[in-house]
Amino acid sequence: MAHNSGNRPSLGVFSQLTRRRLVQNGVLGAGALAAGSLGIPRAARAADEIIFWATGTLDIGDAGWKIIANDSGVKVQFTDNGNDPGPVVARLAAGNANDIFDIGGLQGGSEKELARRGLIAPWDLSQIPNYASLWQWAKDIPYLTYEGKAYGIPTVINADSIIALRDKAGNVDSYGAIFDPRLKGKTAMEDAWINSVIFTAIYLKSSENAKIAEPGNLTADELGLVMEFLIKHKRDGQFRTFWNGWEQGLQLVANQEVWVMTGWEPIVYAARMRGVDCYYAVPKEGYEGWGNNAILLKGAVNRGRWKAAHQLVNALLSGFYGCKLGMLRGYVVPTDNNVAYATANSSAFDPASVRELAEHVKQKFAGKVYWQNTRPDNFQLYETWWQRLRNA
Amino acid sequence: MVAEVEERVVPHEPGAHENVSARWRLATFFLALPSLVVFVGLGFIPLALVVTWSFWSFDPDTYWIKPAWSLASYAALLENGRATVFLRTAGLAALTATASTLLAVPAATVVCLLSRPRRAALLLALFTIPFFTSGLVRAFAWRLVLGRQGVVNNALMSLGVVQTPVEWLLFSDFAVVLGMVAAYLPFAIIPIVLVFGRIEYSVIRASQDLGAGFWTMFSTIVLPLVMPGIVASFLFVFIVAVGTSMEIQLLGGAGASSISIMINDVLRVVNFPLAFAIATVVVTLLIVLVIVANRALRLSRLFESLGV
Repeated sequence: MAHNSGNRPSLGVFSQLTRRRLVQNGVLGAGALAAGSLGIPRAARAADEIIFWATGTLDIGDAGWKIIANDSGVKVQFTDNGNDPGPVVARLAAGNANDIFDIGGLQGGSEKELARRGLIAPWDLSQIPNYASLWQWAKDIPYLTYEGKAYGIPTVINADSIIALRDKAGNVDSYGAIFDPRLKGKTAMEDAWINSVIFTAIYLKSSENAKIAEPGNLTADELGLVMEFLIKHKRDGQFRTFWNGWEQGLQLVANQEVWVMTGWEPIVYAARMRGVDCYYAVPKEGYEGWGNNAILLKGAVNRGRWKAAHQLVNALLSGFYGCKLGMLRGYVVPTDNNVAYATANSSAFDPASVRELAEHVKQKFAGKVYWQNTRPDNFQLYETWWQRLRNA
Repeated sequence: MVAEVEERVVPHEPGAHENVSARWRLATFFLALPSLVVFVGLGFIPLALVVTWSFWSFDPDTYWIKPAWSLASYAALLENGRATVFLRTAGLAALTATASTLLAVPAATVVCLLSRPRRAALLLALFTIPFFTSGLVRAFAWRLVLGRQGVVNNALMSLGVVQTPVEWLLFSDFAVVLGMVAAYLPFAIIPIVLVFGRIEYSVIRASQDLGAGFWTMFSTIVLPLVMPGIVASFLFVFIVAVGTSMEIQLLGGAGASSISIMINDVLRVVNFPLAFAIATVVVTLLIVLVIVANRALRLSRLFESLGV
């Protein structure tokens, strides 16, 4: 582009290319593309380059990753893993994920299982100085460790409950509203047992005194109890629908298709922007807590990226990533470093907003929280029951 | 067709015909080779693996499958209402295919019999408009049309037809079939239009000369001639509808299921053998359906004019 004149790109570069070179470049480009799409390991990467294979909403964009690279010395290639833990775990166990990716980021629950199978490696917390700054209850998430070693580092954390329309549903303070016959046909849950089963189990345990030990990891009997309850209400026409994904969830609330539904807090903010008077309920039974945790893939260790992986995770907890993610998506990295970073860089981030977001999440976790578990011990039984629910 | 071309380009010499014919067959084979390689490599081999693996067992230690031959996955198809999902999906697909075909016959008739070429081209272009946008957007749009505050309910309420929104318009089988018919109607129209193109118009003119009215001509001459196209239309839509999940997920009721949703659910818990068994049964049933349709209704007539 040395010959640019004004805004027009110069043809000089192209004029110097021979047809043969163009063909060569084309073939190489196509090959690289094919290699990428087929998951063939790319050509040797520098030891300070990490492929972060995580839920798409954890991406902070090229500009953000450049700042992380400047701060930590680790370059990041972000790849969306689709968020669904099933295919992610399957690709780690039976696919080529360990040949390609270095750090994974997924909803918590499968760490124990992946560690047991030797698919992920433990983190050396002494190499992650910012780990000490994590809020204690985030460190205490039950499935982050296996045999005393840390396999998951919580990089994003939040707690979910119920979205309600104020003028239609009144004051909702219990998951019981989802099953309230007065709201028949006006309620919805997520089309995913990962969330809907635990919400129902929390309700039955806390408000109906059902014998449920851990709502996030039900025994076969407990699962049967919960699912029979859901099946009964489905047969009674209690649910308008089960929803999938952000747009569907938002549309249900924004168009007032449902008056009460279990869902994600950002839907409330988006629906309010569309003029809908809705709120995020504080259920007396407690929240469903969830964490998106960084896991160290065994392949990264084998490829000599152990140190870089630790440097990157340390950077994720250093404050900038938390500020950026909070600004982009309203997500919280569970550390006070976010507020400290925003205070030191107030031209880039509003310290008050960062503090407010952190306090809001802390407030949720001040009460009762049951942790979402994407891989309960009986996970295949969950699917079987979900199929029965679908067909009820 | 090969013979016709040979007639034109190959001089007839006694004794040379067999050699030339063999050469043509060889050329035909090489022409078909790339497609054959693609079909076998990308279609048949993966399918054969899927069928084989459906008889293997899930290995909880490796999270993959192991060659412990078993019919357990097929037995599981009969449990937990999975068979119902097959029947329900087939029912919805059949309903969609029937409705689409019934709409496609008059539409194709208008395009091919009652329109001049320019209008016919315009109408055909209009029918393909649904394909200009993604299926997801298309299905999602129906939620805005059929919902409680959607266009239809608003119209019904403002006209005083109903006092409260009609609930069953959305999140129901009605909505699913409507969404699928709207999406897949072009699949039904195009095969019938193609068959119309093969009708000798002298036959139609002859029937008119003999005093047949439009309906007599249509029912006794046109309809039998386009029947293979109608069957092909039905099959196209049926097969696509069997494999869809979008309309069912977006427009169906709470937890509505279909075969592809069931496969997704099963894969989510890495039950690969069951997913492969479901896929095997679906593919087998669809192949049987096509064979039966061909035998009973002579779908091969669609290709007769091509000399195949």
